[in-house]
Amino acid sequence: MENIKKKNTRLDRSFDKLRAREEAGLIKKSNMNRQLRKMLNNKLAVAGLIIFSIIVLASIFAPLICKYDPLMINLKEVLKAPSVDHILGTDRVGRDIFSRIVFGGRVSILVGLGSALGAALVGVSLGCYAGYKGGFIDGIFLRLSEIFMAFPQIILVLLLVSILGQSLMNLIVIFIITGWGPMYRMARAKMLSLREEEYVQALKSFGLNTFTICYKHILPNALGPIMVNITLSTAMFILQEAALSFLGLGVPLNIATWGNILNAAQELRILQENWWMWLPVGIVISLFVLSVNFIGDGLRDSTDPSQQG
Amino acid sequence: MLSYAIRRMLILIPMLIVISFFIYSGLELMPGDAVSYMIDPEAAAELAPEKLDALRDSLGLNDPFILRYFKWFGGVLKGDFGYSLSSGVPIRDIVFDRLPATLELSFIALVLSTMFGSILGFISAIRKGSIADNTLTVVGMLGVSVPQFVFGLVAILIFALKLKWLPVGGRLMPEYITYWDRFPHIIMPALVLAATMTAGVMRYSRSSMLDSMNKEYIKTARSKGLPEWRVNLVHGFRVALTPVIVLVGFRLPTLIGGAVVIEQIFQWPGIGNEFITAVRGQNFPLVMMIALFSVFAVLIASFLVDLFTAILDPRVKLG
Repeated sequence: MENIKKKNTRLDRSFDKLRAREEAGLIKKSNMNRQLRKMLNNKLAVAGLIIFSIIVLASIFAPLICKYDPLMINLKEVLKAPSVDHILGTDRVGRDIFSRIVFGGRVSILVGLGSALGAALVGVSLGCYAGYKGGFIDGIFLRLSEIFMAFPQIILVLLLVSILGQSLMNLIVIFIITGWGPMYRMARAKMLSLREEEYVQALKSFGLNTFTICYKHILPNALGPIMVNITLSTAMFILQEAALSFLGLGVPLNIATWGNILNAAQELRILQENWWMWLPVGIVISLFVLSVNFIGDGLRDSTDPSQQG
Repeated sequence: MLSYAIRRMLILIPMLIVISFFIYSGLELMPGDAVSYMIDPEAAAELAPEKLDALRDSLGLNDPFILRYFKWFGGVLKGDFGYSLSSGVPIRDIVFDRLPATLELSFIALVLSTMFGSILGFISAIRKGSIADNTLTVVGMLGVSVPQFVFGLVAILIFALKLKWLPVGGRLMPEYITYWDRFPHIIMPALVLAATMTAGVMRYSRSSMLDSMNKEYIKTARSKGLPEWRVNLVHGFRVALTPVIVLVGFRLPTLIGGAVVIEQIFQWPGIGNEFITAVRGQNFPLVMMIALFSVFAVLIASFLVDLFTAILDPRVKLG
């Protein structure tokens, strides 16, 4: 009965193989190891990890890779097509596009990752405590998150931009304000089910205080979905930064970011005649977000068995 | 059922009041007030401060904050949304002028993406692990990863600038008489918006379908000897569709704001486009009202979605 039409996918087969090797005592069984191994068996996730590492490393070591300063204006070489000198050409004021993309990655990734981590820090630490304690505090934060989530994301972001003004720091703060709600709800939901476990009863009867129980003993068990959520929000925030800067409402234009480079493509003439000014950076953003999404999916598959269907 | 609906609706009222209060106080923090927008700074510098103060008094700007908030909110309830700072046109006229364009665009995109998304997700789920599924998964992933506006720019470049099949943007021209005259304008924005949304719906309906195919009632249906297509379509897909429809319901209002970027690059004269202009021009009353409208739309939609799921799923507690 159980096996009617139940097809094994490639992923299932490789997971089965892993289990067989574990049982034979060939490889260690610790949980962390197993999740890592499962993830490394997922081709898309590995491809994502590779692309992700290349782009991140390139941004970190930007000064070593680039010949030019991303902000250096050179009016003798304006709107040059890609050549040996400038691999991806130059823009309207003669800045090297390749350097701008590589250095822009620093800011864009910082905004994406920083906002996701910040939102997770706020959302998870609140959600963890409120979910465990319940009652009054939980009610307040739940309503508050509902209020923030009632706005369409982009409208709330733009509203806050017009209230707080445009700067790099403000953008990260704005993303944290808009992003903590879903994190809070996820952490809270996870806590609601975890707090009924027997080990929590045991810890309580030992007389441990609430903070130790919920942050030290329960939280590690919810790390899987939290990590998945952080990766997926990083992807989302990078897309939003790009869209906002493209509109000229994100990071101020004097800082190179992926979105700011794309900003030039709002002009139809540049769109048509100077493809190197926007297409390469569009591809880099897409690749980076794609790789982060693949990693997120891989993480989910390896940490959450119920998602394998 | 009725009492559930009424109770659910009553929750909306405090939500709306709190949110409008947030928006109002957020914009209250802005430097300057209505007077500084009305009079140009050079003229204001020459005017006596007492005169400016008298003007503020007559406009009620010196009232305490809470009082001003309630005056403003009362006006909103009566349909007085205030005036745009840049043009002096009543905001109500602007909103009702722009809304049809946005609704037209969003509606087409929503219908297309729901249709294609759920069908593709369904195919992907019943052929799990096949080449078709893997291709669709990667394509779907691409769809959520490529920025909407990059996709739009590529479309403009190919179809409008190189092939010259479709117009670059805009919606209405004076010489347009019938709907078909302006139809070419909506093709690109609607398809680009639909394509990016399809990816999301597809991923969601795939996992929802996989979930429902693992349920006991599917085994029952199979063991009754039903043909496989019937099991998939009637027993699996129909159940899997409910969460997808819920997702689409939640998408409904985000479309008012969600098309902001697309409207901008295709110069589509909708609410989103107006919102960007207002944010750029620091036209705070307009920013405030459009934000409030979109929140209102979200709250109404989530109310409808709740009602809908309560009707469909008897397990939802009405008590």
